[in-house]
Amino acid sequence: MMPEVFGSPFMQKAFLAGILVSILTGLISVFIVLRKMSFIGAGISHAAFGGIAIGFFTGMNPLVTAILYSILVAIGIESTGRKGKISEDASIGIFYSVSMALGIALLSLSKSYNVDLFGYLFGNILAISRTDILLTVITFVVVSGFILMFLKELFLSTYNEELAKVDGVPVVLLNTFFLIALAVSIVISIRIVGIILVSALLVIPGATARLFAKGLISMLVLSCLTGVASVIFGLLISYQYDIAPGACIVLVSALIFFFSVAAKKKR
Amino acid sequence: MSIAIDIRNVSVTLKGKEILKNINFSLEEGKFLGIVGPNGGGKTTLMKIILGLIPPTSGSVAVFGSPPEALLHGNGIFGYLPQHQNIDPNFPSTALGIVLMGRFRKAGFLRWPGKRDREIALECMSMMGIEGVRDMQYSQLSGGQQQRVSIARTLAGEPKILILDEPSTGIDVVGQEDFYHLLKGLQRKMHLTILMVSHDIGTVTTYVDEISCLNINLYYHGNPLGALTDKVTTSLYGKNFDLLMHTDVCDKCERLRP
Repeated sequence: MMPEVFGSPFMQKAFLAGILVSILTGLISVFIVLRKMSFIGAGISHAAFGGIAIGFFTGMNPLVTAILYSILVAIGIESTGRKGKISEDASIGIFYSVSMALGIALLSLSKSYNVDLFGYLFGNILAISRTDILLTVITFVVVSGFILMFLKELFLSTYNEELAKVDGVPVVLLNTFFLIALAVSIVISIRIVGIILVSALLVIPGATARLFAKGLISMLVLSCLTGVASVIFGLLISYQYDIAPGACIVLVSALIFFFSVAAKKKR
Repeated sequence: MSIAIDIRNVSVTLKGKEILKNINFSLEEGKFLGIVGPNGGGKTTLMKIILGLIPPTSGSVAVFGSPPEALLHGNGIFGYLPQHQNIDPNFPSTALGIVLMGRFRKAGFLRWPGKRDREIALECMSMMGIEGVRDMQYSQLSGGQQQRVSIARTLAGEPKILILDEPSTGIDVVGQEDFYHLLKGLQRKMHLTILMVSHDIGTVTTYVDEISCLNINLYYHGNPLGALTDKVTTSLYGKNFDLLMHTDVCDKCERLRP
């Protein structure tokens, strides 16, 4: 089975994109878990549906419109939360349901209803195009570069925001960049596991890593390893048994998580 | 002695509500100031103004002669201890890892703390009496140990002014006395100016050089013994208020006596 899997070009592309995305979400997941931002992650991924529909409606690349739209939503959620008139969870709830409604409305208006809607909702890693790969590589380089460059500052502001401000970290700017990085990573991950399942990649690797991590660096490494292992085994199982790859990846990561919890309890 | 903190006519109004009203006081370098008052009395707001985190609605603040916002970008003269409940007790790090975070600023952009930073961090840990737990997980430490780790972190940044927000929460009563003694020692040894926010007027008066009693207005500023009059305590806490004085007599010995 093995040589055959790695021999086919579409599986090679799937592995390449999958591994890059899992490292990316592995890094981001650590901060999502420690900063308790998982609902924002779920909100942005659902809101991205509106952005994808805008792409279909206008005839532009849906990933590009989704990235731009998700960044706007992420900043919108953050700034309404900061102003404090509406609570952040209410603001997330409004943004994502309205965005999905907008998406459905635009798709019904679009003449081409034969779009791969299912692929966006549940992921279609096997149909990844060259453009998708290119966008994934660019996102990987830019976002992981940002996180590694500002790792110290991100740690400090995750530990305590005000303390970070007193220590000279431009916290508001850093948070905005983090949200942009989050939004872009989510949209890129949608190609792999889909809108509905992307939350799993944002939460499970970080939550698993947290069980064993002795420090933040080891948490980052463990989180990425969990993500990469989920993608590799998920894809292999998907190929072997002909099950949807996005679902396989998420189920494998969930298995890793549950075994980790059990192993932790035993110690 | 130079003036470390100088506050002139500071008022703060948030959403039409008065938080602080015409506050005036100054603090000399090397002094230990306790800011006491009820919850909602503006203690934390005043502290944030001094740190440069929020601007006053009117009035001015100078820290060693500069506006505090300007100091945020410099080399750092504040060591800030946030309230204990605002720190994740399960933050994934060893005790030493937390203290090393205090060296991040000195290490600079894109650089990680090196050997010298490690030495300073360990020195600060031994000053706080916690060098023995350096490799333990932060989450496994007691509340008092966690608080000492946090103070060691602020000391590692080599601050001139230490600002502590309710530092004794999470520490039991007997531990609190030791803790205040420790702060007093640090003040002398490192010539630190210390500003400590607390709701506990009784204990604080024994250890500080000066006290500010704050309840929107500044009701008293000066020698701590002068704060314990009925007039001051009533304006802070109302009429039904029992003052628990702590003296030099050791609590532990008294309790153990048959």
